[in-house]
Amino acid sequence: MLNVRELLQSIKDSPYELIEISAPHTGVVTFAVTEPGARVSGPSGSLLEKPGTQLAILERERNKKPLSAPQKGVIEAVRTELSGTFVEAGTPLLTIRHYLTADEVVDRILKKALYLFLAPERAKYYFVPEVDKKIKAGGSRSVRLTDGQELFIMSRMKREATLAYSGPEGQIYSVYFRVNENVDTGQPLIGVCPGEQLPLVQEVVAKVRSEWGEAR
Amino acid sequence: MKAKRHKVLVANRGEIAIRIVNACLKLGLDFVCVHTREDHASGHVRLAREMGGEKSLYRVASYHDASELLAVADAAGATAVHPGYGFFAEDFRFARRVVTRDRPLTWIGPSWRVIRELGDKINTKRLARRLNVPTVPGSDRPIYDELEAEDMAAKLFAFQSEQGFDQHVVLVKASAGGGGMGIEEVERIDVFKSVYRRLRNYAKRQFLDEGVLIEQRLFGFNHLEVQILGDTSGKNVVHFGTRNCSVQSAGRQKRIEVAPGFAPAEINYRFDAARVLNDITEYSLRIAREVCYDSVGTWEWIVTPKGEPFLMEVNTRIQVENGVSGAIAAIGGIGPVDLVAEQIRVALGEPLGYDQGRIGLKGASIEYRIIAEDPDNRFAPWVGRIERFDWRREPWLTVHSHVPTDTPYEIPTEYDPNLALAIVTGQDLAEAKARGLAFLDGLVLAGRNAGGGELKSNVDFLRKKTDTLLVF
Repeated sequence: MLNVRELLQSIKDSPYELIEISAPHTGVVTFAVTEPGARVSGPSGSLLEKPGTQLAILERERNKKPLSAPQKGVIEAVRTELSGTFVEAGTPLLTIRHYLTADEVVDRILKKALYLFLAPERAKYYFVPEVDKKIKAGGSRSVRLTDGQELFIMSRMKREATLAYSGPEGQIYSVYFRVNENVDTGQPLIGVCPGEQLPLVQEVVAKVRSEWGEAR
Repeated sequence: MKAKRHKVLVANRGEIAIRIVNACLKLGLDFVCVHTREDHASGHVRLAREMGGEKSLYRVASYHDASELLAVADAAGATAVHPGYGFFAEDFRFARRVVTRDRPLTWIGPSWRVIRELGDKINTKRLARRLNVPTVPGSDRPIYDELEAEDMAAKLFAFQSEQGFDQHVVLVKASAGGGGMGIEEVERIDVFKSVYRRLRNYAKRQFLDEGVLIEQRLFGFNHLEVQILGDTSGKNVVHFGTRNCSVQSAGRQKRIEVAPGFAPAEINYRFDAARVLNDITEYSLRIAREVCYDSVGTWEWIVTPKGEPFLMEVNTRIQVENGVSGAIAAIGGIGPVDLVAEQIRVALGEPLGYDQGRIGLKGASIEYRIIAEDPDNRFAPWVGRIERFDWRREPWLTVHSHVPTDTPYEIPTEYDPNLALAIVTGQDLAEAKARGLAFLDGLVLAGRNAGGGELKSNVDFLRKKTDTLLVF
């Protein structure tokens, strides 16, 4: 049985996440934030259309790409020694100390409560067209799954294969992968909520939201 | 190369990156390599670290990102770009951008205009027909409309009935595809629509273009190639003979290439094989001269069991299998010929410096593509850790590989699980085959995947196919 209180307490003991901001591609970097301790905001707006605080600019082929904070937090470290230099893709630039939001805590706990369907291999995953249409029309929770149902197209090394869902019947509650991004072996693709557990999951969500609110 | 010391950006990975670096070293050129996070253990990264000077290796986000490659070229002070094969090799927009930007670079490949003209299968087909070069029957432009596609398929089925063919099959091909990807067969018109839709969606995902070609499927054919080289004058075009690439996987990916394309001195054919080789060479040169071809390139042919050739497409790049042609070639009696080095040399402005009369082709060579895959499961790629990989060194053997032999290697899932190209030569086909088998028998290749399963490779498949090479 899921011990929500215990899980929540363990998160409360360490309610932070260190987010490393790396160069997404090569380019000459200049920093907009230079001091550790500065507060930054994540994306905002109803559709998260407003980018977060600008952290740095990466210039490549006369294109300036602003790097914005993906989450709210405090700057933990900045590699100012790289300012004005050409950096390779993947070079660590800054670190943000981020206080977990209620949604993130819910997400972490749900990963323990839901049935997770894992990626059998490192590959790119797509929903099969029929499921994809349903999700686009009504959201992932509109899709009910049964064991053996064809669910994914698994694409790797230019080959594609269909992948059937195996697990309890239920609705897709969470989707953990993004289109065109590789998912490592063993990482969750979706979280499925079996019908009979739906009230329990909803209760967990409500409880976390109220408890996390108290903690903040 | 004497007037200006060039630095070549090697815009590719794996064994072709290694061959480009080696060609640069041979020509006295500097180079800079790129690699992705997933490719950190590739042999080309190690070679760049060991042999490169300052600014000779950069990590990039993707080999597919043009701005990334050009930014590295500028940061490293590169003066030329070699695209290798795949990625940007046949992308005329990228080739054009390379030579027309504020800081122009030399493009090591055909000019962007030539790539545009011949890189488009449809255009090539039209050009060939204009020059009386035979092409495969079918659509001569990409089709985006389902009804039009179905109509074309119905016409081809009707044509096959009229011709009395035993099997009625049409091919549905992604117009923007290549290298055997995005091709499906349809045997009945009533299932055509579902196959068409599936391939159209695949083409859109993989190539960002849902156009398809509908062509007649020819059975029991051999797949031949002609290796062409021209210099930047566009006037000096020569060939380096033919290759036979008929041994392929279930997905029509080449697995063994043999040069020359047939062996009429050792094998009896039902047609005049020497004449066919001569015809496809002459047809290829005809097109190459027409477009002023100015780099290495490959003309791909289908030859039917009756010995009728049909041009399939032109690959405006260095190909994986160029080494098998170079292995039996000599210029002015000096061989083998490094076609990658020749490609770089002419791209940097040197004249070809020889004519067809000085090119000699002698003996036979076989290239084996050693791949981690399961031939019993439709050649499904195998992913895991290569723990042992080695072979006996022989004077008749060349192995191109990015997989280290002195340390384990994890195959990245982002790329094909190709491990090595092994090229054996002999004074004739029989000797090349015997040496090929000796190489395969002595090859050490072992590994395990995350689940503890043993490595699967195509070595047995290659061994089985060796005996009947070039038999047709």
